[in-house]
Amino acid sequence: MPSTRDIRRRIKSVKNTKQITKAMELVAASKMKKAQNTALAGNPYSLLLSEMLAALEEQVENLRHPFLEAREIKTRGILLITTDKGLCGGLNANLFKAVTSEVDRDAKFVCIGRKGTQFLGRTRRNLLADFSVSEKVDFNEVKVVSEFFTEQYLQREIDTLEIIYPKFVNTLRQEPTVYPLLPLANLRGIVEEMRRQQAENEDEVQAHLRRDEREMIFEPSPHEVLSNLLPLYINQQIYQFVLDAKASEHSARMVAMKTASDNATNLLEELTLEYNKARQAAITQEILEIAAATASNS
Amino acid sequence: MPLLLEIVTPEKRVYSDTIETVVLPTVEGELGILPGHLPLLTQLEPGELRVMKAGEPETLAVGGGFVEVAADKVSVLAESAIDIEEIDETAVEKAMERAQKALSAKAELDPSEVERLESLVRFSAAQLMIKKRRK
Repeated sequence: MPSTRDIRRRIKSVKNTKQITKAMELVAASKMKKAQNTALAGNPYSLLLSEMLAALEEQVENLRHPFLEAREIKTRGILLITTDKGLCGGLNANLFKAVTSEVDRDAKFVCIGRKGTQFLGRTRRNLLADFSVSEKVDFNEVKVVSEFFTEQYLQREIDTLEIIYPKFVNTLRQEPTVYPLLPLANLRGIVEEMRRQQAENEDEVQAHLRRDEREMIFEPSPHEVLSNLLPLYINQQIYQFVLDAKASEHSARMVAMKTASDNATNLLEELTLEYNKARQAAITQEILEIAAATASNS
Repeated sequence: MPLLLEIVTPEKRVYSDTIETVVLPTVEGELGILPGHLPLLTQLEPGELRVMKAGEPETLAVGGGFVEVAADKVSVLAESAIDIEEIDETAVEKAMERAQKALSAKAELDPSEVERLESLVRFSAAQLMIKKRRK
């Protein structure tokens, strides 16, 4: 049986740990709220942007742009979005599992987040570049990433652009998701999908469903509009994914820290019980000794 | 038939209402939209967006972006947009000054930062111009 002093020491250390995890939980909770709100606020913009693209595709025949053409896939380009810091439960581990099972060894990677860079280095994957984004993600930080990526795509270094990121489902669930961004073969399907998701939040599907049958005018020209719209679309999509990943990160961290705090509370209870038992045993022992000594003296 | 105007920026939906007419700053010049306009997709320039709603004029400053007109719905996709009433002239002037100062040392900045500052300057200039004209 451990001495009372050892138990006391353990209680103290568990208490300290609990204090830290509790603080981290609260910080993550407030950051989570903010991250979730920003992720949601960007949705109408994304939707409108992809709707414009879809309209463009619908109206103009034989639209030509390297982003729209599917080509033979030799090298896949993967953007892996992970966190910079650990202590967020299985979030990164799940992503890495997805990478291992879904992606072959020839694929080239671009990485956001230090954890991903470390993983790709450890497994000796082909890492082209790694970027880091600040806590409050700025549109322009992401722009660098998407510019680098589209450059690689246009030079045929990579033949697809796929994104692996933790999709934010709700606070308790984040799913590692592989999302193919380029080539944009099925624009219409993407818009439909986004609309459905949006409709769950807001009740304005009707407004979107109004269609105009007349022919559309493009100024200055369809091609000009397209070549400006497409990079913006890629940019916005990646930005949205990064925001989503941030929301996931903070949710995962909050949940992980909450579990840790709860475990610490349980552990503390058990240890306190053990400590009291040990203390009581020591007292009983002492009384017995005194009683025995008095008995032998008289 | 009324016209539906929607202005969306990456941060939020700035405007969503039924209106009578809207005048947009586009790359091809100012463009007025009335109900029944042909479907149109064009690029937006930083500048002044004028709305006529229930007989009352309203003015907004917008950054660059795109405009889609279809089925009497005008969708504006802008980098930034602000109602003229909310423009704080001195704050905008200061922000613009700071951005220009940072831009003068261009060589030390990375390209994305330069772009961000330039768009900030453009948008600030548009805001100031509109505000001045109102006086």
